[in-house]
Order: sequence, then structure tokens, then C-alpha cells
Amino acid sequence: MVYITSWDEFVERSAQLFRADPDSTRYVMKYRHCDGKLVLKVTDNKECLKFKTDQAQDAKKMEKLNNIFFTLMSRGPDADVSEVAGKEQTEAQPGKKGRGRKQ
Amino acid sequence: MVLLQPDPFLNELTSMFEHSTEKGTVWVTLKRSSLKSKVQRNKMAAAGEPLEYRCLIRATNGKKTISTSVGPKDHQRFQASYATILKAHMTSLKKRERKDKKKVAGADKKEGGSKKPKRA
Repeated sequence: MVYITSWDEFVERSAQLFRADPDSTRYVMKYRHCDGKLVLKVTDNKECLKFKTDQAQDAKKMEKLNNIFFTLMSRGPDADVSEVAGKEQTEAQPGKKGRGRKQ
Repeated sequence: MVLLQPDPFLNELTSMFEHSTEKGTVWVTLKRSSLKSKVQRNKMAAAGEPLEYRCLIRATNGKKTISTSVGPKDHQRFQASYATILKAHMTSLKKRERKDKKKVAGADKKEGGSKKPKRA
């Protein structure tokens, strides 16, 4: 099992893994309240990345990662992932013709 | 395996967290899926129809499994509620407060908080 120590590296590699194979990549979260531990795993059934922590600050970072994954998964791997808030606005809606203003 | 709508799923997830505070684990899995069998997918690809993908979310406490699927339209709302639930329940994680070390002189009441004793 590959445990990654750096959060940023974990995020970077998970996103890459997902974009490479969106159909078989999954993100698993395991939380044990009695031990106060949180483990995250991202795998595409060939490669596996894990991250474990007992820090509350990592829970906050994980929330951002959750957002990223939700966006990638429901919209597709090419979705524009612009960290937290404002994801809706950055996606250009096709079908808007140039003549918006009526003068 | 119980397939629920997003809102009942969130309620069940909350109760799972509540029930596993003393003992037990909660697993949550996120995966992208089109919820169609391979045959259907091939047919759709051949006909040129774009496949509609959804995000499949599964949760289990080891005994019971619940799941739901979220599409691009409801994912924002679901993700906000999901984040709230997580924040509310992940209370047993340690808080690392390095700022306190200087101010609280010697009165370190935190158990196991002395990970990095920064004594120059």
C-alpha cells in the first residue's frame, strides 16, 4: 500500500489517476471515530494511493478534495476544476450568441 | 445494498456516523458511473448518443450498505450537505495548535500534544 506523506502530492496524483482512467478510478474514505483516524484511498485497480491522518486540519483539506472529485465525476474528467467556489462560473456555457445587448 | 435518493441517503449517513462513535468505522466510496450495463453502453456508443455519467456514492458501516447516485445538476447541493455532515462528525481528529506553545508556558494539558517540542 502506498502511503503518501504530502497532501499536495496526494491530490495531484489522484487527479492524474482519475483523468487517465475515469471509469475505473474510485475514491474511498474510511473514518474511525474511536481511533480518531481518517484514511483516504484512490485507486484505479492497478495503482493505489493512500493518505492517512489524525489531524483536524486534514479533514478540511479533504473536504476540498471531495469537491474536486464530485465535480470531476459528475461532470466528466475534462471538467474545469477551479478549487472551491466559483466552479459554476468558470465553465463556459455553449450556445450563448454574441448579441447579448439590445441597443 | 440499498439504493436511495440523495436526501434520504444523507440522513442515513448521518445516523451511521452517530452510531459508530464508540466503536466501528464508516467507509464512503465515490465513483463515476453511467449506471448502464456494458451492452447498453456499447449500443449507445454505436448509435452516437452521448453517455450520461453520474457520481455513485456508497457508504457502509461494515454491516449495512447504502448508496445513491448524484448527477451534475444536484451535485453542488449534495456536496454542500455532505461536507456539513463530515465536518459535524469528524470531531475526534486532533487539532494541532502550534501557536499555543509559546503563550501557554508549561501548562500543556493536551494529551499526546507534545509531538514537536520546539525548544530552542
